[in-house]
Amino acid sequence: MTKLLEVKDVVAGYGDGPAILNGASIDVQPGKVHCIIGPNGAGKSTLLKAICGMLKVRQGSVMFKGQNLKGKRPDQVLREGICFVPQERALFPKMTVRENLRMGGFSMTDKATLEKRIDEIEERFPILRERRDQHAGTMSGGQQQTLAMARTMILRPEIVMLDEPSLGLAPKIVQEVFDIMKVMTEDGITVLLVEQNALMGLKHADWGVVLDLGRTLFEGPAKEVLTDPRIQELYLGGQKAA
Amino acid sequence: MSDLIQILILGLALGGVYALMGAGLSLVFGVMRIVNLAHPSLIMLGAYVAYWAFRLYGIDPLIILPVAMVILAATGVILYKLVFEREARSAKYSEMTVLLTFAFAMVFEGALATAFTNTQRVTSPAYATDAIFIADIFIPLGQLYAGIVSLVLIAGLALWLKYTRFGYAIRATTQNREAAELLGVNVNFVGLVSFAIGLALAGAAGALVSFVFSFYPSKHWEWIAILMSLVVLGGMGSILGTVVAAYTLSVVAAYVGFFFGATWSTLTFFVALFVVLLVRPQGLFGEKPELA
Repeated sequence: MTKLLEVKDVVAGYGDGPAILNGASIDVQPGKVHCIIGPNGAGKSTLLKAICGMLKVRQGSVMFKGQNLKGKRPDQVLREGICFVPQERALFPKMTVRENLRMGGFSMTDKATLEKRIDEIEERFPILRERRDQHAGTMSGGQQQTLAMARTMILRPEIVMLDEPSLGLAPKIVQEVFDIMKVMTEDGITVLLVEQNALMGLKHADWGVVLDLGRTLFEGPAKEVLTDPRIQELYLGGQKAA
Repeated sequence: MSDLIQILILGLALGGVYALMGAGLSLVFGVMRIVNLAHPSLIMLGAYVAYWAFRLYGIDPLIILPVAMVILAATGVILYKLVFEREARSAKYSEMTVLLTFAFAMVFEGALATAFTNTQRVTSPAYATDAIFIADIFIPLGQLYAGIVSLVLIAGLALWLKYTRFGYAIRATTQNREAAELLGVNVNFVGLVSFAIGLALAGAAGALVSFVFSFYPSKHWEWIAILMSLVVLGGMGSILGTVVAAYTLSVVAAYVGFFFGATWSTLTFFVALFVVLLVRPQGLFGEKPELA
């Protein structure tokens, strides 16, 4: 099995505090959607932060295409081809939508290519063209999430990591978020998704990973994870997959 | 009526200089969350550069201004690398910088007083005591030049922030440091450059101040109160807010001085500071603080 990203026995935490991840491991295959589920405090968001360089990896390794990302800053990890959209969407509220999109391509040096890609994004997500001169902070939650996700596509990264993209959104808007994720995979982008709504996340994923107490407990094809009785009982609150 | 117009013009002319003095402070706070209480003492250093260049070599303060900017920017780079960078991720960073820069202010004051004594100085190029007249209204040339140069520098900074790639990085870091880092901005380098630019503006302000006001090492204590009131009224970190506040308070202070006497003029800034903190702590253009 080809591995695009290999996280192995990672130990990480915030500052000098106790470790949140205690040996988490995950293999990411190219072109697939991987959904990480687990109870609150399992270390799901922490794992994404450790991969993207926001948190120091104390032990273990994060190998991306054969290169260890351990010790790299977030801007360096981004340049390797891994984008991260955190829970709070990470927009610049006083910048316009167009300026936010430009920031998405900040690491690109060719301005003409950047503007062309922004035009392409606006074509695929018309709401961003309609709102291009509006400050991002004045848009609705769903529009902000669209902007945050679409912005990552400007760099054409290999992996996009999404931390609870459906958080705080109305059910109808949540489906739009997963539709954008589908667009990403159609473009060949690998998605690493952390989702509190485990049922919804696994339904849209190819591979499921169950994390608890900072360790990987179980992983497998998303459909198997979804129907596994232990997992349904423990982490899906007894919800039955449709 | 002509008196009122006269006061307005004098207030506006000084407003530009205050705006430049506050812009650097605001930029540094916006990007790095450094409350730089040493900013006015560094303005003082710029003033001494201009003073001695004029006194010893007869070089006009407006000519030496870029040199003062470079000297202060270099000072900023050294200070940032030695002191501010290593603690940038600390949760108590802003609080630490208040104490740290307070200490720096005292050190700079002591060093300047040792080197140049506490004698009042003023740089006196010919235009500093000249004026132009339009009907009954006179405009002091020194203040006019200082106001124009300040506006040009602030406008240049605003355009640079708005349209250049690095300007985008600074604005982004100011609004959301974590997000900027996730999008490829080297926030440490942005912090370094912003700190250097902030101090370069202090150097420019110092060169202008040297012929607009008399100065001596301990005068920075008076200025810090004035500058903090501008930055708080404008909204911490908002350069536009600082500029608007500078012009507004400068004009109001000029009228207060005219009607109630010069002693009360400075009080305008302190009253504004208290009122803003009570009524609208986020200032004119700042963001409302979130409740914990």
